[in-house]
Amino acid sequence: MTEKLNMILGGAQGSGLETTIQILSSAFASSGNGFLADREYYSNIKGRHSYAHAKVSSVEIPRSIDSEIDLLGCMDAETLFTHFQDIVKGGYLIYDASTGEKKQDSIKSIEDPLRKRLEESFEEMGIEGTVSSLVEYLKEEKDVEVIELDYPSILEDIQKEFDISSSQASRYVSSILIGAVSGLMGLEKDEVKKGIERKFEGKEKIAEQNMFLVKKVSEMVEDEHGSPLKLEGSGIDEDQLLMVNGNEITGMGKIAAGMRFQSYYPITPAADESFFIEQHASFDDGGNILVFQTEDELAAITSCIGSALTGTRSATATSGPGFALMVEGLGWAGINEVPIVITYYQRGGPSTGQPTRGSQDDLMNALYSSHGNFPRIVLVSGDHEEAFNDAVKAFNLAEKYQTPVIHLMDKFVANFVKTIPLPDISKVKIDRGELFDGEDYKRFKDGPISERAFLGSEVMWYTGSEHDAEGNVSEDPENRIKMHEKRMDKLKIADEEIDDRVIYFGPEDAEYLIVGWGSVKGVILDAMEDMDKDFGYLHFRCFSPFPFEEVSSYLEGREKVIAVEHSYSPRVSEVVSLNTGYQIENEVVKFTGRPIYRDELIDSLGNIIEGSNREVLKHGP
Amino acid sequence: MAREYGTNNWIDWCPGCGDFGIVSSVYRAFSELELEPKRTVVVSGIGCSGKMPHFIDVSGVHTLHGRAIPFATGIKMANPELEVIVNGGDGDLLGIGAGHFIALGRRNLDVLVMMHDNRVYGLTKGQAAPTLPRSTKTKALNTPSIQDAVEPLALALVSGYTHVARSFAMDSDHLKEAIKEGMEHEGAAFLNILQPCVTYNDIHTSDYFNERIEKLDDWDAEGVDPTEAINRSKILEEEIPLGLFYKDTETPSFEERISGQLPDYLEKVPAEQKIEENGKTILDQQAFKSKFRGNIIEKKK
Repeated sequence: MTEKLNMILGGAQGSGLETTIQILSSAFASSGNGFLADREYYSNIKGRHSYAHAKVSSVEIPRSIDSEIDLLGCMDAETLFTHFQDIVKGGYLIYDASTGEKKQDSIKSIEDPLRKRLEESFEEMGIEGTVSSLVEYLKEEKDVEVIELDYPSILEDIQKEFDISSSQASRYVSSILIGAVSGLMGLEKDEVKKGIERKFEGKEKIAEQNMFLVKKVSEMVEDEHGSPLKLEGSGIDEDQLLMVNGNEITGMGKIAAGMRFQSYYPITPAADESFFIEQHASFDDGGNILVFQTEDELAAITSCIGSALTGTRSATATSGPGFALMVEGLGWAGINEVPIVITYYQRGGPSTGQPTRGSQDDLMNALYSSHGNFPRIVLVSGDHEEAFNDAVKAFNLAEKYQTPVIHLMDKFVANFVKTIPLPDISKVKIDRGELFDGEDYKRFKDGPISERAFLGSEVMWYTGSEHDAEGNVSEDPENRIKMHEKRMDKLKIADEEIDDRVIYFGPEDAEYLIVGWGSVKGVILDAMEDMDKDFGYLHFRCFSPFPFEEVSSYLEGREKVIAVEHSYSPRVSEVVSLNTGYQIENEVVKFTGRPIYRDELIDSLGNIIEGSNREVLKHGP
Repeated sequence: MAREYGTNNWIDWCPGCGDFGIVSSVYRAFSELELEPKRTVVVSGIGCSGKMPHFIDVSGVHTLHGRAIPFATGIKMANPELEVIVNGGDGDLLGIGAGHFIALGRRNLDVLVMMHDNRVYGLTKGQAAPTLPRSTKTKALNTPSIQDAVEPLALALVSGYTHVARSFAMDSDHLKEAIKEGMEHEGAAFLNILQPCVTYNDIHTSDYFNERIEKLDDWDAEGVDPTEAINRSKILEEEIPLGLFYKDTETPSFEERISGQLPDYLEKVPAEQKIEENGKTILDQQAFKSKFRGNIIEKKK
């Protein structure tokens, strides 16, 4: 009985893969399954290889994906060449029979290093390297069951059936894959239909034609292969699920938090969040959110600060290269005690680095960027639920402590598509902090936390220079001490007040302690569950103010402490060492920009227990 | 009695600085317009001109070098009911902040930009600013400047500013009127203010400007296209024209453009929207579900 399924669906960027994923994931979810998918793609609009690597479960919402897949669905030959090695023995392959004669050297979009690896593999396997030879090999050597479909002839049929142009028909390749997958998994047609109607809302004809194709292909597949991948499970409990990526759930959190201004400059993987908020910028019973595309990130952060000074809950969203430009604004917000939220989605660096791949290498950048010193709050989210809660919390803390909050996430959280239970909105609290209601206003009077008034309600001054209580420039040394201490003391108060800065999973006295933060959470928890060793996981939710006491106490008395992170060397180890003096001596890292898979993490943790102190993970094309 | 707009702060510009002329004209203009101090925001950048807000008794935001415009943009967009004025130097607005200068023109947001133009970076000891003509060697420079000057009005005009004028710091009556006109304009207004830097620019002195200034006479700013305005506003060796060169009241302001997309924007400005009730979000569970129905999947019965 199968309860979970790992699959990869791949094709050229811009060829309809996104449609396939959206429709299938909707059908999986409405059929009562939990769904999690990583999206991998190049910095490219059309033509390069793109894929979704998903886990579907009929018993729970998945938290991680496995490198070994039960099913590979190919829209093109490159997908087969790129992923065939990950198909588990006895797995399933869907491919286009018309590509049988294709060889990897005729596919220009394959990068040279992969080409070379393929040549070596094919030589080892003793095959000539055509798609057909590879498929034969998989059948014979790996017992792979092959679903062979002639895509062009299927498209020709639909072209005739509906009297449409061949270019129109070619856009329906996405539905061939939907049909084949839904056939193999025995999905009810009505659930697929709902997904199609959701995707093509208002385009009835296109929906109808796609449904026709899906039905036809799934029947063909069922007739020949049955539905061997049908998930047998009770289905998950919720009657309603939210199907979201991390950009979307963060946008939802911001909207629920009362954000009314978001500035941004286009950058991967942050821009989709602003786009999503813009789609929801008007409220049914009045009110609106300004989503402002600026000329650069300098303007994104400074317009955000300007807006925040008027009392508007304001944020900006960016990635590493954009954050680099925002740092001068960050410092201004720090010295002027402005509550802004910077949503920071990390990607591979340095410089342009790997713009569409994941990374957790920017923790130090979030914690220490900017000249001078000011209090900042740095929240980190490890999954979609945390992202929603932190998006709300970020505004509350920013306003309560009147200081910038950086909400640090990464490309994995941003782009992972996941089904989650609906957030409980009644729990969304709004705390606007100390507000002024009196006479003779001075913006920076008393403290550490001064009463806040908004531009428009009182006369006030702000300046990036050191200033007095009124906001006028002052270089007097005693004033400098007073004002600098006033600002820094806010962090001490925050340190006493902010709860839940770490979460501990596992038995209190576990022999082995894993330390991590952000998107490694799910895969760590799954790996721990599947290992018979005694593991605990210390999961950071906030790095500034640093939760010194809790972290110190959790580190004590362990056989081994292991940092797991998407970076060259774990930033979390550096930050723990800086704050506590404790040296974390073991690490599992990955810096290819691809997610950490459950099975490879299990292997590497095993190696650490055996005596290795550094494991570098490499899996994933 | 007319309101006074001075503050108690000692004004620490060099004696004779053109900025004194500018700030006093601001006082007069604000007084005649009877601006409410808390509803008025002066936003500045860095440099001598950056100090302006501390000398004016309205709200002041002394920002970063080059960034006065985007700060002002955020303030104005979030609360379009406020009167927002930008003060920046030539280096601030056309050097480090040139991208923002262009962007404001493209948006036509209702903000007045006053550019303090003395052709040098005064506060860092007189380096060449973007408005210093090539081959000029002021006393603070080691060698003559080998970069060409940018023509601020031409740049404003091609960027889309809908009110473009030039005045002179030492002609308070002209400047006061130019400030008032710029503030009353609904859209992005640019006012280039020529001024001496008595300490570092020994070439473009008050006398230099006085000898060359010609006030526009018989010029219909509303009846010309930007190209004509560019030609007329050009600074020549022997003549520096002052006045309003271009005015366009047809192009919609940014506020109007936003209203086209968010119809209740001006009735429910972001800064004044209610977002919480008793410490809870105003978005209830039902509203959340309705707003994000596109992401909600119902499990089959």
